[in-house]
Amino acid sequence: MINGNLKASYAADERILDNPYRRGFVFGAAALAAALPFVANDYIILVAAQMGIMLIAVIGLNVVIGYTGLLSLGHAAFIAIGAYAVPLLHRLFAAWGLPEGVMPLLAIPLAVAVAALVGLVVGLPSLRVKGLYLAVATLSANFIVIFLIELDAMAPFTGGFNGINTPEANILGWRLDSQREMFALIAGLGFATILLVQNLFRTRVGRAFIAIRERDYSAEVLGISLLRYKLLSFAVSAACCGLAGALFAYFYARILPEQFELALSLQLVAALIVGGMGRTMGPVFGVVIIVMVPELLKYSFGAIAGGSADVAALRAPVQEIVFGALIILFLMFEPLGIAQIVDRWLRSLNRWPFARG
Amino acid sequence: MTMNRRSFLKRSAAASAVIGAPSLLKAQPAEYVFGASLPLTGPFATAGQLVAPAFAMAQRLINEEGGIGGVPIRFLTEDSGYVPQNALANYQRALATEGEALVAYFGDSTGFMKLVAPELRGDQARLMGSTSFASELANPETNPYQFLAGPSYEDQFDILLQNIANEGGSSVAFIYSNTEFGRDPIAHGKARAEELGLKVVLEESTKAQGADIPTHVTKLAQSGAEYCLLQGYVTGVWPQLIGGARQFGLPTKFMGTFWGMEKIIADRVTAEAGPFLEGYQGVMPYRYFYDREGAPRYETFAEMSKEMFAGTPLETYMPTWTIQTMCAIEIVVRALRDTAEKDLPLTADNAAESLAAIRDWDMGGYFGGPISLEGNKIGTGRVYTYGAESGLFTPSSDWFTV
Repeated sequence: MINGNLKASYAADERILDNPYRRGFVFGAAALAAALPFVANDYIILVAAQMGIMLIAVIGLNVVIGYTGLLSLGHAAFIAIGAYAVPLLHRLFAAWGLPEGVMPLLAIPLAVAVAALVGLVVGLPSLRVKGLYLAVATLSANFIVIFLIELDAMAPFTGGFNGINTPEANILGWRLDSQREMFALIAGLGFATILLVQNLFRTRVGRAFIAIRERDYSAEVLGISLLRYKLLSFAVSAACCGLAGALFAYFYARILPEQFELALSLQLVAALIVGGMGRTMGPVFGVVIIVMVPELLKYSFGAIAGGSADVAALRAPVQEIVFGALIILFLMFEPLGIAQIVDRWLRSLNRWPFARG
Repeated sequence: MTMNRRSFLKRSAAASAVIGAPSLLKAQPAEYVFGASLPLTGPFATAGQLVAPAFAMAQRLINEEGGIGGVPIRFLTEDSGYVPQNALANYQRALATEGEALVAYFGDSTGFMKLVAPELRGDQARLMGSTSFASELANPETNPYQFLAGPSYEDQFDILLQNIANEGGSSVAFIYSNTEFGRDPIAHGKARAEELGLKVVLEESTKAQGADIPTHVTKLAQSGAEYCLLQGYVTGVWPQLIGGARQFGLPTKFMGTFWGMEKIIADRVTAEAGPFLEGYQGVMPYRYFYDREGAPRYETFAEMSKEMFAGTPLETYMPTWTIQTMCAIEIVVRALRDTAEKDLPLTADNAAESLAAIRDWDMGGYFGGPISLEGNKIGTGRVYTYGAESGLFTPSSDWFTV
């Protein structure tokens, strides 16, 4: 129980996990993720790994939408860039005769870098247009990237419509040939990404992003270069998505262009809205809901009526309705997302019985 | 010592306990699971919903016939929305939840089959049939666990082109959707046409839903093609393209492959848009359900359909899409039963070996004759012609084997 919010030092003021419940929550989640590969069954590992990949992408999207206030509907393109970069880079490294064990160590950062570069280009329209107009510009980037991947002329590199087989990750001799091992890598990089992005917003760069979000003209008046920071925001965001894409490529044995279409971009935005934009934990909660709702629906429908096709056919529209309803409800009643609800709840726990949050 | 009924039963029980013990020691599940992903929602929901009842019928039929080595089977069906990644997640979920009891899987698209192919390794592999006839899948060396329950699209093009050559045709146009499904047999078809002395006068790629069809009709008219092969459409372009060509007065003969040959769809289009499908031809690997003479398996289905699907369109007619699924299921069951008979565990490797060994099998009327799983596909089919008035596809060629 506390009866005040006295902070006696700058360090205390800057602390991210500033109350014991929050600390417990975050460390508990980290411990759970660390324990998962040892205790969970294959199904849970599969879902957790999918969540991890999506989480990294949504964290990236949060940088550009949540913190910088630039609406993007084309982030699946960056995931595609990261994913396709991995097999291409592996092919290149193999031609150079690099040992397999170091390939992912080079391929992942390079895939991230390539995605960031493409992010810079896609971010260019953000200097002239905002809001819905920017959304349409980024949307077209998604279509262009998929079009290029599917192009006949690119087929020798990307596999065109047929997709391309992806290599196995081998990190210094540790072959990540099971989903369990891949989950360990995904979880580790997921935590690192959360930490990096959280810390970004305690720096000058991150605060410049937030200033742009609040009012870009005012930010410019204060000396923040819109050109530099808007593009940087897109690059950081695309880099995270590139990382998600690289992990996607290592996780699945084959990638197809249709996996990175508009539906994925929209799913990322939906996760961010539900979780909470511009909040560190927003993507985490959003991804949990977006991935878990269909899984829970599948599980409960399966438990009620077995694996019959009639039930499966019924479940799909129910899933769509639940998704739609969730988004509408969040936009109406809690536009700040689950992160805000959890925050309020943890705050009230911390201050109980003196305040309700 | 005299043997009476009781002592005989006692001794038999003891003997079977001794003989049967090793098989009891093997962990045999109480039931085998056949997983399936179907597009029950999304753009191909019509197909998925017509295929779904096949699983209920197959489950009942196979279990009545003794399951696999005496163990009953159960189907676990999931919706994929025709998204390959959803189907892959369904497959991985089925593997994780059912484990070794999952002995086979039925996929819903070429995309899924290609996506899952490299994942089929070690204990993650299962014997896998699908709705796809993609040529790439029929390769036992790269995809030992996947098979086609009929001829590949390339084979189907071969059959159509051979038929055109037999009829004395000289020019052909290829119109296909700009999808993997549409592009599959085009390169092969061009080469085959050249071998047969047919001139490919037009090669036109369209959107799957065909937004700018009038342009394509004009191009077709300019090309002067006698025949036009359509690939990669389910229903989308019939009214616009074939209807448009007829309005234009084009005499071109239109032809399709398996997914463009369903009577229910042709009847619906005819009822809604007129009889322009009269004379439409295409290749079909199976006999249509109304062609049941000398097809005992179809007779069995007809009896079961009457009881199981009373009051639905499936009561009296089984669509070709459903027949294809039943055929794939029967092939899987045959491979698994052969494996069980050899007293081998039902692993994907053993099942794939049994599958590849299927030769001269009379399936009871699906095809024109006994079939063999050569190259993990069944390279047979014949050309049918649609009669708008009769609402029937009737054979217009002999059975081709390619």
